[in-house]
Amino acid sequence: MSRYNPFYFLGQAFKSLWRNSVMTIASILILASCLVVLGSFALLVADINLNLGEMGLMNEIAIYLNTDLNDEQIEEIDRTLRSMDNVDTVTFISKEEGLEEMRQDYAEYSDLFVIAEGEANPLPDMYYITYKDIAKATTLEYQLSEIEGISKVIFRLDLAMQIDSFKSGMTLVFTWFLVLLFVVSIFVIINTIKIAVHSRRNEINVMRYIGATRTFIVTPFILEGAIIGLFSGAIAYFVEWYLYTYIEQIVVSEIRMLEVYLFSDVWQYVLAGFLLIGTVTGAIGSSISLRRNLNA
Amino acid sequence: MIEFQNVKKVYPNKTAALNGVSLRIEDGEFVFVVGHSGAGKTTLMRLLLREEKPTSGKLTVNEFDLTKMPGYKVAHYRRQLGVVFQDFRLFPNKTVYENVAFAMRVVGTPGSKIRKRVPAILNTVGLGDKLNRYPNELSGGEQQRVALARALANNPKIIIADEPTGNIDPEMSIEIMNLLLKINRLGKTVIVVTHEKSLVDYYQQRVVTIEHGKVTEDKVGGMFE
Repeated sequence: MSRYNPFYFLGQAFKSLWRNSVMTIASILILASCLVVLGSFALLVADINLNLGEMGLMNEIAIYLNTDLNDEQIEEIDRTLRSMDNVDTVTFISKEEGLEEMRQDYAEYSDLFVIAEGEANPLPDMYYITYKDIAKATTLEYQLSEIEGISKVIFRLDLAMQIDSFKSGMTLVFTWFLVLLFVVSIFVIINTIKIAVHSRRNEINVMRYIGATRTFIVTPFILEGAIIGLFSGAIAYFVEWYLYTYIEQIVVSEIRMLEVYLFSDVWQYVLAGFLLIGTVTGAIGSSISLRRNLNA
Repeated sequence: MIEFQNVKKVYPNKTAALNGVSLRIEDGEFVFVVGHSGAGKTTLMRLLLREEKPTSGKLTVNEFDLTKMPGYKVAHYRRQLGVVFQDFRLFPNKTVYENVAFAMRVVGTPGSKIRKRVPAILNTVGLGDKLNRYPNELSGGEQQRVALARALANNPKIIIADEPTGNIDPEMSIEIMNLLLKINRLGKTVIVVTHEKSLVDYYQQRVVTIEHGKVTEDKVGGMFE
């Protein structure tokens, strides 16, 4: 095998693509379309997650402490929170930090906060905690309310559950969509390679009699599939670039309350993903087709 | 050496193509395999090319036991053989030179060796001046000579010719047969499967006759009865 010239395989693959140019173009366009839809879906999900994250409502509970607690009592509450099964992260916000946050949120009225500094600070110390499992969140809420020294637990379970179910739904749709697109793309590649094998069947027969190894016979076809995938990935990238940038501009200029990932920040992931998925899909499609149509 | 030991071949549709063939061909022999249509000649060829496995019996070609040979060794085994077909099976979009060079490229021969050997082989078969012609620019006899050159390209020990004169005129047939004899004199084992009585009778070589899947006659200097 080591003596085979890799340029020979590449040459054969390109010749075959050229010979079956109609099927080649059809395969590239279909696979590229699938990749664009897939990429758009992935970016949409990423943008939704970004906005949900920004809203700070994912799985967060706010806990307000009584204002008359001493340091030891606060430490005791801290230890209790950190030792709970379903608690993932624990963040302490002192009343001074809380006031500072408010001052920043309402910067135009910052002068007014002078009267609330020091002893006059009316805010309580508080915790933000996140939980691991939403299914056990109600139990957690009950456990938190039982802890001595906690005055209030703000827990938007309904909203969290809605967001959770929305995310689960999106993931399910996305997964099925992905499977469907993958199957369609593979099917197209299988047929393209089937035609390529058919048009070269005499050549393949002669190769067998001469003593060509299976590797020698199948490598150009695998490369053919991979090249179709690679071109599809490249085309899909440019289409995605145009489409996403167009939508990104509308969101940035018109719908300011929503945030989106900027294409200029994620282009390398999109390009790498398209090229990789395209090439792998092409190579897998070729392999399946060869197993079915080439008894070498 | 090629040895069939009581080889039987029954196809899945229950057709018994070979019914216990025993045959031994020594290195460097020239053998005609003759018989009427359906006698079992093609199956014998297919077994030798390892397209099929015997149903029972033993078939060995040099150091290869074709009865037990795993699939991955078939390619290497076939490099021992040079095959010539009735319909030439040349690549119409490749020149004479490229058709022969292709056979060497397939087995991983370096380019420098290909460039040296291909013109030499084409000279041997009398086509040294037609390297850049395409198959459709050649006569049937010339196309078969290209096929012979391709069969010789990897210096095989055995040449198997399946009805090599079936698609060419009688004058050219003599030329092809003379070439096969010339190749035989170079030390190659040559097996010619044919049903052309006149050629077999003319050349007076060893003749193996197959009828109903059995060797019915095996005679040196024999005739096609």
